[in-house]
Amino acid sequence: MTEVPSRNAGGHGQAEKPVRLSGEPFAWRHLLYLAPGLALYALFCLWPVIQTIQFSFHRWDGITDARWVGLRNYIQVFTSAQTLTVFGNGLIMIIFYAVLPVLIGLLIVAIMTRIRIRLLSVFRTVLFLPQILATVVVAVAWRWIYAYDGPINALLSAVGLGSLSRAWLGDFDTALISVGLIGTWINFGLCMVLFIGGAQKIDTQLYEAARLDGAGPFQEFMAVTLPGLRGEISIALVLTVTNALRNFDIVWNTTSGGPGTSTLVPSYLIYEGAFITRNVGFAAAASVVLTVLILVLTGVITRLMRSED
Amino acid sequence: MASVEIRNLRKSYATTHVIKDVSIDVDDGQFVVLVGPSGCGKSTLLRMIAGLETISGGEVQIDGAVMNAVPPKERDIAMVFQNYALYPHMTVAENMGFSLKLKKVSKAEIRAKVERAADILSLSHLLDRRPKQLSGGQRQRVAMGRAIVRDPKVFLFDEPLSNLDAKLRVQMRTEIKALHQRLGSTMVYVTHDQIEALTMADKIVLMNDGRVEQMGPPLELYDRPANLFVASFIGSPSMNFFDGTIENGAFRTTSGVVLPLAQIPSGAEGRPLVYGIRPEHLQLGGAGGVAVEVAVIEPAGSETQLYGKLGTDDLVGVFRERLSARPGESVTVTPSSEQVHLFDKATGNRL
Repeated sequence: MTEVPSRNAGGHGQAEKPVRLSGEPFAWRHLLYLAPGLALYALFCLWPVIQTIQFSFHRWDGITDARWVGLRNYIQVFTSAQTLTVFGNGLIMIIFYAVLPVLIGLLIVAIMTRIRIRLLSVFRTVLFLPQILATVVVAVAWRWIYAYDGPINALLSAVGLGSLSRAWLGDFDTALISVGLIGTWINFGLCMVLFIGGAQKIDTQLYEAARLDGAGPFQEFMAVTLPGLRGEISIALVLTVTNALRNFDIVWNTTSGGPGTSTLVPSYLIYEGAFITRNVGFAAAASVVLTVLILVLTGVITRLMRSED
Repeated sequence: MASVEIRNLRKSYATTHVIKDVSIDVDDGQFVVLVGPSGCGKSTLLRMIAGLETISGGEVQIDGAVMNAVPPKERDIAMVFQNYALYPHMTVAENMGFSLKLKKVSKAEIRAKVERAADILSLSHLLDRRPKQLSGGQRQRVAMGRAIVRDPKVFLFDEPLSNLDAKLRVQMRTEIKALHQRLGSTMVYVTHDQIEALTMADKIVLMNDGRVEQMGPPLELYDRPANLFVASFIGSPSMNFFDGTIENGAFRTTSGVVLPLAQIPSGAEGRPLVYGIRPEHLQLGGAGGVAVEVAVIEPAGSETQLYGKLGTDDLVGVFRERLSARPGESVTVTPSSEQVHLFDKATGNRL
């Protein structure tokens, strides 16, 4: 417990007594200051979470009385083939939403540290644009790009690869990858902006030292750029992995989970359970599992990427 | 070890010329200090030797081989940077051995070389630490260790002591000089601190505005400065200058004070000149002395500095004696006529 001498404790003429910075009376007053914010947080965040956890142990259609079913909803989440496929799709989305954008962002930064890029700010703004566009707009645009009579197939036909043409979002083999690549397109600008910001903080003398030490472009990247971007990579991964697992709007606006269940992702499954099939308890259990999955993954990422220097 | 020859070197950015026809010879095993005010081009020159800056004209040779188009890693040089430039995620040992690792030297040999360098620099107990866990002085030593393990032909130092506090700077100055004596390597050292230059160099190259003003042994620059710039830059406090002319065998300042001269260079009489005398070459009292009005007295223990007015000119004096004069009072000082420097007012060159 920290004790500091007070500045005028007891007024003039009295011996100064140490005043405790933390102690019973002060702690309660501190809580009072926190109370308004805490109340709002509890009402709009903690209470829904608690309710969701509570629903996850019930069978409820949202109208009639809920019935306690214990862990049955969770058992269903972990044993249903469809649910496991859906969570598997969510994990595949991480490759497209997080891994690929981070790798592309790193590649751009690696090039940028070796070659001076003219009009960097214009380049950066253009690549960041997908981040600020409404996802509905993005989804509609990509639906058109992927359409059977869209520009991708037109291009393939033009270069003599017309046999590869297909309805990219309607094909069981390509739908998930196609949706995932939209996520890559949205997220790599964010990663790039984060990494460029981080790379600009790296001392240029480190690059010069590496060059004098005999490092080539790859060794220089591994010795200077990559360790220097550890914090930014961690932030990018946390944001994009969360985006990947929460992904709903892109799927909703492009494939609605189809064809079949090939692009069904956890958030869409939860939405369907809660609002279409009225299986609120199952949707709540899936929500809890998804939240725990996100927390565990982001926790692992932050721990692994924690700077040791 | 190797010699470095710089021939008519030039560096330009568009129409701005930062290095203007510089030629310097660095002998094998010599400690050369490039010194000058900020922006004089000394760091650019060093970086051109390292290969970190392109050369607009002229030649850099290391051991007789032209280096202009040779990439930095193939020049067999090591550089110690101002900010140390240590890889933050590597330990001290990894930092020091990184260049050898890239050269695919065996682990045992790397360890042996790192341990030897660590021993020289008293870093043996810090080999497993990361740069963040070290003090400024220790980081500086690691940066030097990284250079030593490479056993390069030439060591380059770019203001390596600028980020250290005054006490540590003095200590590291001595350590670098001792290191040079121990290794006997060729070293080129950049600093803006003339005390560092005077105390460490075998040869000083004093630069200004992209040109070499004078080069030579430290005491030559101190004793026989080639021009007003060198005279004012070398020495602390700076040399006193008085404008005036030689009349009737004596120097008369523009404010009418007569100063002694040991000898008069031929053709000096009658033309505008600058009389230079170092603060430490003034004596208190003495016959033929001049009256100085005291402005400030700064006792520094071993010496006393006096700031005052000689006629209308400012004067600084450094004396071994202790002074008790008060501001406004007058003291008599005598310039040592043997130590007087005369410069042409128009060209600034020494007569």
